[in-house]
Amino acid sequence: MFITGAVYIRRHYRKAMSGSVIQEKVAKLLSRQSGKPVLRPIKPLALKNEVASRKLKKGEATCVTEMSLLMACWKQNDFNNTVCSKEVSVFYTCVEKAQNKAKAKQGTQGRLLPKEANTLLKRFPNQSSEI
Amino acid sequence: MCVSLSLCLVRWSRYNPYYLDPDPSKDARVPESELSPEEKELQELKTVSPIKAALSSDTSSAFNDPLISKFINMMMQDGNKILARGIMTQTLETIKRKQVEKYHKSPAAKREEIECNPYTVFHQALENCKPIIGLASVQKGGKSYQVPVPLTDNRRRFLAMKWLITECRDNKHRRTHMYEKLSQELLAAFANEGNVVKRKHDLHKMAEANRAYAHYRWW
Repeated sequence: MFITGAVYIRRHYRKAMSGSVIQEKVAKLLSRQSGKPVLRPIKPLALKNEVASRKLKKGEATCVTEMSLLMACWKQNDFNNTVCSKEVSVFYTCVEKAQNKAKAKQGTQGRLLPKEANTLLKRFPNQSSEI
Repeated sequence: MCVSLSLCLVRWSRYNPYYLDPDPSKDARVPESELSPEEKELQELKTVSPIKAALSSDTSSAFNDPLISKFINMMMQDGNKILARGIMTQTLETIKRKQVEKYHKSPAAKREEIECNPYTVFHQALENCKPIIGLASVQKGGKSYQVPVPLTDNRRRFLAMKWLITECRDNKHRRTHMYEKLSQELLAAFANEGNVVKRKHDLHKMAEANRAYAHYRWW
């Protein structure tokens, strides 16, 4: 059974990150002492040099109210942009704010993006055998 | 090492995102007291981070206009920059001539309204041609809809320039020169008339007609 790169280690194990703790757990799962073993692996239990990609969260349409106001102004004034300049500037500020928000939101929230993690793992892969 | 008269390409086309753009203008060096804290940060960043090589078309002269350079690049075909630049200079000259003629023919009261500087005419005409809302094709439930969408500044500038150039290339008599037709279109766009501004209005009307689909967007 293949465990993918994103193994969610529990908080109290972060302090004792030595391999022995994990090896003990794995040995317990494979042992036949207490009945049938939990795991029956075909391939060796090793991490892949890749992270599963996350599903893209679908947001909502931004600045719809400003757009509708602008379009109402256009309809009244026969698509004259000089008359509707106030609505236009309001729309532009809203669009800029939405763009900044989207940019800031992407990289933060404490975790690496799957793409970034994959690039790093490609450059510094897990060693499967001793060189 | 190139030996011929042609220019050597020093600048790469793909740079790492942290490379900053060069600023060729002579007034780039401002004394420290006049800078706000964000600008001071920017200056410090410039001292540490690498900067891309400057293009051979960027000069530190006062006549260097990035918008005009972009327009020349868009007009250029098969790498013939000399021809494109020549057309641009001829266009600006024609605009100046027409405006000065108009200036001298008009009564004293109306003279102040006439804009003779071809660069301001070009900038204003391009602003008048830029669309505010564009249309994007969004697939929902097997059917694709034209959804009104806000555009980025670069996209709007590109569309305005593209419309101008295609209009001048397609809808002209075969014996009129490009610079003549361009100057006519630019002066018309400056006055908010002409085919390019009409095309922009058509796009706005389409967007307004499809405003019900605005919620199909997810960005």
